[in-house]
Amino acid sequence: MMQNHHNLSRPAGQKLRRNKLKTQEWLDELLLVLPASVLLLTFLILPFLMAGYLSFTDQRLIPRPIPTEFVGFQNYLTVLRDPEFWQAFKNTAYFVVLVVPFQCAISLLCALLLNSELHLRSLFRSVALLPLVTPMTVIVVIWAALYRIPDGFLNSVLHLFGFQGYVDWLGDMTFAMPAIVLLSAWATFPFQMLIFLAGLQDIPMERYEAAKIDGAGTWEMFRYITFPGLRNTNIFILIITTLQAFKLFTQVDILTHGGPLGSTNTLVRYMVQEGYSSQQVGYASAVAVVFVILVGALAVLQRVLLKNE
Amino acid sequence: MKNLPFALFATLALSTAAHAKQITVWVIDGDSERPYFLQLQDAFNKANEKKGLTAKIVPVPSINDAIQSGFLSGKLPDVFMLDGPNMANYVWSGQLAPLDSYFSKSTLSDILPAIKDQGTYSPDGHLYAMSPYDSSVLLWGNKKYLQEAGIRIPKTLKDAWTLKEFEDALQKLSRVKGVTWPLDLKLNYTGEWLSYGFSPFLQACGADLINRKTWKSTGTINSEAAIDILEHLQSWAKNKWIVPASGGDNRFYGDKTAALVWVGNWMWRAHKEGLKDDLVLIPAPKFCGNKQVSPNGGWSYAIPRASSNKDDAGKFIDFAMSSKQVALYSDTTGYVPARKSAIRLSKLYGKGAEGALMAEQSAKIALVRPVHPAYPVISKSFGDAVLNILAGANIKSELDKAAKEIDQDIQSNKGYPPFNK
Repeated sequence: MMQNHHNLSRPAGQKLRRNKLKTQEWLDELLLVLPASVLLLTFLILPFLMAGYLSFTDQRLIPRPIPTEFVGFQNYLTVLRDPEFWQAFKNTAYFVVLVVPFQCAISLLCALLLNSELHLRSLFRSVALLPLVTPMTVIVVIWAALYRIPDGFLNSVLHLFGFQGYVDWLGDMTFAMPAIVLLSAWATFPFQMLIFLAGLQDIPMERYEAAKIDGAGTWEMFRYITFPGLRNTNIFILIITTLQAFKLFTQVDILTHGGPLGSTNTLVRYMVQEGYSSQQVGYASAVAVVFVILVGALAVLQRVLLKNE
Repeated sequence: MKNLPFALFATLALSTAAHAKQITVWVIDGDSERPYFLQLQDAFNKANEKKGLTAKIVPVPSINDAIQSGFLSGKLPDVFMLDGPNMANYVWSGQLAPLDSYFSKSTLSDILPAIKDQGTYSPDGHLYAMSPYDSSVLLWGNKKYLQEAGIRIPKTLKDAWTLKEFEDALQKLSRVKGVTWPLDLKLNYTGEWLSYGFSPFLQACGADLINRKTWKSTGTINSEAAIDILEHLQSWAKNKWIVPASGGDNRFYGDKTAALVWVGNWMWRAHKEGLKDDLVLIPAPKFCGNKQVSPNGGWSYAIPRASSNKDDAGKFIDFAMSSKQVALYSDTTGYVPARKSAIRLSKLYGKGAEGALMAEQSAKIALVRPVHPAYPVISKSFGDAVLNILAGANIKSELDKAAKEIDQDIQSNKGYPPFNK
């Protein structure tokens, strides 16, 4: 009897304790998630829901004496029919295609350099982080001087090589976007580099030692140990860089104002212009919703493709 | 009880502090304006010390954006400066308080007519914005280059260059040693400059940004006259006669690779320091036949309707519009004073002074920008068109697009009543 009772009571007591534990864990988790959720809710989800609502109205930036009206899908139809929107879309895509591989490559290269047995390594690490702590507007002003005509740094370099005349880096349709790409990659690569650096230091040293004993060269070690070891890091970096690239705004707004002939206008700048300069908040909200859907779809697509690999 | 006097003093200080009123004033943030506003704050606070009234003047970069956000969030100061042509839009939106009652009759009759035009909202005839200065755009030249090229330098409005003479001058200047670009059109500026600086090209030829009677843009901004004159402008860009946007600000007065510049009064000090005696002021060219137009107006003081302290705000504007302050504004920044009495006080614009030509332009050939609630859209659409035309786009289709954008905006606001009546 005693034993029987014992047998019966034990699982019940355990279950209770486990339940208690579960509640406690659940509360702890909630507590941890709470600050982030509040921030996400107020600054991301709520504004997005508001934009969704506004996109169906003809809301103006400054309140006006005639009432705001519902316009159904009118704003969306206008967005999709506006050639300027599609040009901005094309420009943004072009920027992403250029900047993502370029920026990933230089950040990986710098991470590799800084991870090697370099003299003054810590000095180089701090120097490499400089762009990260400099505000974008300041960076843009500095680069504007590099691109200046006829006597900016880049044109002076061309002169050194005997080139007559000058290149209008920011005013020429061919060069404007690549110039923005170069600046942007330089301005934001340290972030990716840091993550690569962390990834590199996660790869066990033993593998390299073993490879060395087997007689592997630098390239082989990179090809067969480093690169596969960075798989998760790569996926993360690719996604984060792409998302970052879609937000291109400050650089073009200050340097080229979207020109020449709209060749550097981006989706975000188009949205800001419509919302601020033309004061059409309803319309700009529709652009924002389309933008979020586009970028969201792309992020999901990237994840699916990289998972299947 | 040793501390009694101190305690008494402290209570006194606290009670006056409680009665003291402070108004906040947002002003534009510019190199040439900053010293003036520091002076204004001190002068106003000193004059109102006994009344316990003080003003805190805050220079705000990108003030236009700040004001727009302020309207939305309800966080605005008691006085702010707005760009004159935006006044109608804000009044129509119900955001500004009328200013008429804060000025005496004698002050009002002393203000330049063009400044009153800029600040008056036609549907109700009230004054909503008041600028301490007027601006003007003309050509500034480097005398050395002009003489080397053997070009006649006009001195008065009457003997201004014709379009043909002007283009001839550009051609000759382009061959002068040291000149990379004959003309700087300040393409490094953005925003309002494009419509402010380039609409005179159209207006001198009988076109405009919008028809000021029917408030329709189609047929006016894209008329034959507008296309013709912008063809000239585009050809100068094609000939590489114009400093490109990435050329920066100081080609004319800095390294002197530009020989002429089309820009306003605010560059006075920089030009004077850079060129010294080589600086010459050249009147706006006669772009079409005998007609010439220059833009005018500028940043003005206004009181938001939401301000709970309008009377003190009004006192501040009245103080800032006193002859003495207006003359000081002009001497510090180089703008034309907005009061006739201040013109006489001004070192730059008084009779026979260096700036007389600019004051003459303001009085004779200046045309106020369309005072209409759609102005922000009018300005942006034309500005975009100008930039694209300079970059080589098809002129007619750019102007057609601008016309369509403007008319559509007016339509989607139901004609901005009561403007449609």
